[in-house]
Amino acid sequence: MAKIVIIDDDPDILDASSLVLNSKGHEVITATNPEDGYRLVKDNSPDLIILDVMMNEPDDGFFLAQKFRREKITVPILMYSSVSKTVGMSFGVNELVPVDDFVEKPISPSLLVEKVEHLLQLRKEK
Amino acid sequence: MISLVPSWAIYYDEFWDAIKRRNLWFIKLRYGAVLMLFAFLVSSEFILGIKFTNTQSIALVLISSTILIYNGILHWVRKFLKCDPIKFNPLHFSLVQMLLDLTALMLVVYFTGGIETPLSMLFFFHMIIGSLILPGAIIYTIAFSVIFLFFIMVFAEYHFIIPHHAIAGLFQAPMYSNFTFTVLYSAVFGFVMLMSVVLANSIAHQLYRMEQKLVESLDQLNAAEVEKQKYVMSVVHEIKTPLAALHSYLDIVLQGFLGPVNEKILDKLQRVRARSAEAIQLTNDVLKVSKLRLLDEIKKEEIKVRDILSSVLKKQRANIDRKKVKLHFKDNRKVRTKILGDKLLLEIAFSNLVSNALKYIEDEGVVEIILDEKGKGIQLEVCDNGIGIPEKDLEKIFDDFYRASNIKSKGYEGTGMGLSIIKHIVEKHGGTIEVQSPSRLASQNKPGASFIVFLPLES
Repeated sequence: MAKIVIIDDDPDILDASSLVLNSKGHEVITATNPEDGYRLVKDNSPDLIILDVMMNEPDDGFFLAQKFRREKITVPILMYSSVSKTVGMSFGVNELVPVDDFVEKPISPSLLVEKVEHLLQLRKEK
Repeated sequence: MISLVPSWAIYYDEFWDAIKRRNLWFIKLRYGAVLMLFAFLVSSEFILGIKFTNTQSIALVLISSTILIYNGILHWVRKFLKCDPIKFNPLHFSLVQMLLDLTALMLVVYFTGGIETPLSMLFFFHMIIGSLILPGAIIYTIAFSVIFLFFIMVFAEYHFIIPHHAIAGLFQAPMYSNFTFTVLYSAVFGFVMLMSVVLANSIAHQLYRMEQKLVESLDQLNAAEVEKQKYVMSVVHEIKTPLAALHSYLDIVLQGFLGPVNEKILDKLQRVRARSAEAIQLTNDVLKVSKLRLLDEIKKEEIKVRDILSSVLKKQRANIDRKKVKLHFKDNRKVRTKILGDKLLLEIAFSNLVSNALKYIEDEGVVEIILDEKGKGIQLEVCDNGIGIPEKDLEKIFDDFYRASNIKSKGYEGTGMGLSIIKHIVEKHGGTIEVQSPSRLASQNKPGASFIVFLPLES
């Protein structure tokens, strides 16, 4: 099964996401800040990265995603956001941020599973 | 170079714009003055029975031509001026114009009879305008110089030091050599000029200061509003974060990730989920409104309103079918003009309007959506036969968090932000929204409501 790194500053979100993804048999590694998250991705070469948009700073998630892409890490990135479709900041997939999909908070477990499986499937097909 | 920029001029852009506009205005006015001067020269003999001497005619033609030439030069130089307070700028330009004009006027006055000519009234006109635009010290200096030069001229003519150029046919007896008249006239001339300059100058400065203060307070208000919205957004976001975590846990339990849950507990947890969903909806709505308010400019893409409406109706299809609502969509426009606007925002607005209509319909519901041309824009009407809006609530329904009394008592859930969001979006597009209840679909116990949105073709 897949190895997934989740980076979010809210431990409860990490816990809830791990619980859901573990139940589907995935291995989940978590980090609560961008620096640790970056190291985790470098060390573990996961199959999928889940990133929160806002951590310490409002755009931490974006910067981290950009950093990964600049270093040619092509692992699919799923972004947790609370602003994905709200006014004035509409960004579609890959439009402004190099991520593959968004999940809007609050995270619905079934939707999360669906999107994760979809991205993993795409990666396999490549 | 002397700085002519007054201390109160803080908002440079507006200040320079005003000065530049005035300079252009003077230049245009001067062309008119030259034209009138020529017309006066040519026609006065026939119409007024005035006869100019040769010297007078030559002098006046020369003066008028000189004015015309320097005005042409000023008109041309004007374009190259930079609004730099320490270099030659439009204010210095105004001063140069003023000095040139006063010199020309002094000569015109001398050659048309000195103290006897009615043209000396034009001095007041010049000085009042100068008082409105130039700093006090400068305009007072000019005023004293004009009065002094005028006195000199009167004195020199009186003592035959310089020749007097009387206008033949205007006055019966020569007045320039009448002592009492010259003294009285000169005194009144000086006094009136000083009074006009002092009054006009002080009133102008008061007005300018007030204007600047107003602009200042407006800026402060806008800045405070932005700060407030940012604060609201950060607070609401902080509230949303724990709510989101809570909600996710609830879903994990409800969707059975932790195994089966007792029916009774499940039932209550469903209620908890519904209420927390309501709170999250509220935080999302507030975030949306705050963002809208912080948005300086909306996108200006070409939009086919009809397409947006179709996509909204498609997304609401399930809702429409579930409530068994009869929906009529009519496009009465002859030409399907596009409007400029933000597609995403308009979709949010229209979607809110339609879902509102559907939400407050009880049974045998009818919703009519009519698109039409109106003035220089389009009109969208969303009309229903739902529960309507009580008359006393009509005024307030567009306010943030306001919910009409009847929907609260009937237990409809909502945040009271929907119409506020719609109104914001419509106004950002330069449009208006009105409400009518009962609507034209009203029947017994079903007053209904009708929302009429006007969007201009170009906002």
